[in-house]
Amino acid sequence: MTKREIAYQVALLFIIGVVVYLVAGTTQGNLARLGVDSSIDFLWKRAGFEIGQKLIPFDANSTIARAFVVALLNTLLLAAVSIICASILGLAIGIARLSDNWLVSRLAAGYIEIFRNIPSLLQIFFWYFVVLRTLPRSSESIGFFNCIFLNNRGLFIPSVSFGQGWPWIVAALLAAWGMVYFLRRQERRQFAAPALIRPDTRRLNPLASWNLLILAGIVGAIVLLAGAQLEIPRETRFGYRGGIVMMPEFLSLVVGLSMYNATYIGEIVRSGFTSIPRGQTEAADSLGLPRRLTIRLVLFPQALRVIIPPLTTVYLNLFKSTSLAAAIAYPEVVSVFVGTVNNLVGQPVFIMAITMAVYVFISLCIALFLNWYNRKIALTVVT
Amino acid sequence: MDMTSIKSTCLSGMVLLVFAAWQAAGAGTLEQVRERGKLRCGIVESSPGFSSIDDSGQRVGFDIDHCKTISAAIFGDIRIEYVPVTPHTVFTLLQSGEIDIFPDGATWSFIRDVSLGLDYTGVYLYAGQGFVVRRDTEVRSLRDLDGATICIAQGTTLEQNIADYFSANGMAYTPVTFADIDKGLQAYYADRCDAFTNERLSTAGRIANWPDRDEHLILDEVISKEPFAALVRQDDPRWRDIALWSFNVRFAAEEFGINQDNVDTVRENSPNAEIQRLLGVHGGFGEKLGLSNDWAYHIIRLVGNYNDMWERNFAPLGVKRGLNASWKDGGLHSALPFR
Repeated sequence: MTKREIAYQVALLFIIGVVVYLVAGTTQGNLARLGVDSSIDFLWKRAGFEIGQKLIPFDANSTIARAFVVALLNTLLLAAVSIICASILGLAIGIARLSDNWLVSRLAAGYIEIFRNIPSLLQIFFWYFVVLRTLPRSSESIGFFNCIFLNNRGLFIPSVSFGQGWPWIVAALLAAWGMVYFLRRQERRQFAAPALIRPDTRRLNPLASWNLLILAGIVGAIVLLAGAQLEIPRETRFGYRGGIVMMPEFLSLVVGLSMYNATYIGEIVRSGFTSIPRGQTEAADSLGLPRRLTIRLVLFPQALRVIIPPLTTVYLNLFKSTSLAAAIAYPEVVSVFVGTVNNLVGQPVFIMAITMAVYVFISLCIALFLNWYNRKIALTVVT
Repeated sequence: MDMTSIKSTCLSGMVLLVFAAWQAAGAGTLEQVRERGKLRCGIVESSPGFSSIDDSGQRVGFDIDHCKTISAAIFGDIRIEYVPVTPHTVFTLLQSGEIDIFPDGATWSFIRDVSLGLDYTGVYLYAGQGFVVRRDTEVRSLRDLDGATICIAQGTTLEQNIADYFSANGMAYTPVTFADIDKGLQAYYADRCDAFTNERLSTAGRIANWPDRDEHLILDEVISKEPFAALVRQDDPRWRDIALWSFNVRFAAEEFGINQDNVDTVRENSPNAEIQRLLGVHGGFGEKLGLSNDWAYHIIRLVGNYNDMWERNFAPLGVKRGLNASWKDGGLHSALPFR
């Protein structure tokens, strides 16, 4: 860089600094002039309201900060489940779109065109009110095996609570799994596996590790289940109580967000597969690989390199659009924090800033993870 | 665009911003409204009884009458720009000067008054948080709601009231919290919840035209006292006085027996000195507020007294005045004296 270029950059930085300073100063000045309280002490005050879905204990006596965590966990749960569902559905749609079967590929195309072109908020409203109206009332619930119940108050499934010491058992299982994973890596290195071509070769090296894991799993499961207690939802005056409840809001959001975003994922998957030279399929065919294995072992790993970067964008969009949940009473961050809490304490500037910062942080985490994964699977040129 | 024009656009934009901020801080609300030629009144849309649109496309309702009251006092005429707001946006819009007044049911509470940079302009309605339930659930009083799922709308003190009430009585409930009252009511209607809670009067208005209205019951009890008052910004005491005294004109008119129909006759013939001061015959009271002396006359001419407003907006919903009657009839409303 020349001195002149450096001077320009310093000047630019200075201007940006001044603008930020002025905006922050003016905002604070205006808030003070209007007599708006401006500190984040409100986070430690008593919340005084209830939240409909909570993954950690919470009641009206908890702090507002805890309410924020509850809401954030709800957001993350919704995002995670929706991302998984959208990915599975999107993969299926993308492959179906490429199918040689005319009807299947047309159906997939029709699905994409319809659901991609309707705003996702509208789809969420649609699913929500469709779900609410079509499901029966609590007294006429659809029951499965007398322990799972579905009605317009949600899906009620039994919950399992384990006896004391369950974290130790889970930790032991995880350790066992880690050990097996390590052993298998060693094993692969030793045999420098041509596993890609003949997956059956794996069976030639039956190390004891697998059996060990299975044994450990069985023992662990028995110990776990011995101390476990099953809570089955039971009917009360106002519908079912107990067990795990999936709110209709949650179900319809998962359906709405997955179906909408699956259209994009489907197209990305299709572009990924289309980008692979035809020769690859033909080579696999000539080796006599069945269709299923061709997709899994030849096409998919190569398509993934094209798929991951645009997929990151879709995941980020999906994560951000979980905020649409505020429209149908799912208690996520925007609904609880920007809605209820802001109303309570009336500090829109801070509340907005905190909420936005959290979204930015989590989005960046998602992007960082996928970028790391992308680099990991990228083609490395051997010289 | 080349670099120079981008820079100059940015610069002029910034200058404009700074200038706008300066101006907002400088001129009083009354002057701004006069200069603009109309009042910017924040309203909540589709709340029958309070704010709705009638068959001929006109905005009608209790809140709309409050907007008209202020407009009549300033202009002697109805010149209003209605700005639809939601509970999410209203405090910010008021603080930033986008609306001049927000008349709709904001409960006058300590925290709101002292921490939002806003001021209240006198109680105009005593409301309360009530519940609507389905008759076939056999809930007849609040105590029967232990364990119920309850649809709530955000945006007021509703969420806290219900949490306070249920915990004080050792009862449990599951909230389903909507940002929007109508979505919450819709969900209750679709049997998502056992009960819906909101301000009792507005709930009565909203469910009045349900086809199966008779299958729903509005419980008699209320769990909160909600004194409703209009909100204005805190940094303009003159503007708050205008709003407070304009609203008070309607109570005074009712106590004096002046209504929309007889206001002209009373103005010409009444020998009562206070009525003469009120209607601007003498005393010059309007000028002291920065208004014309016949400000109160225009309010009564265009909007009427408190009873006119009630008969027009709430009586058709079958709601009696109760606590909202004049103190002479055993209610809580009492006019501040014009002297």
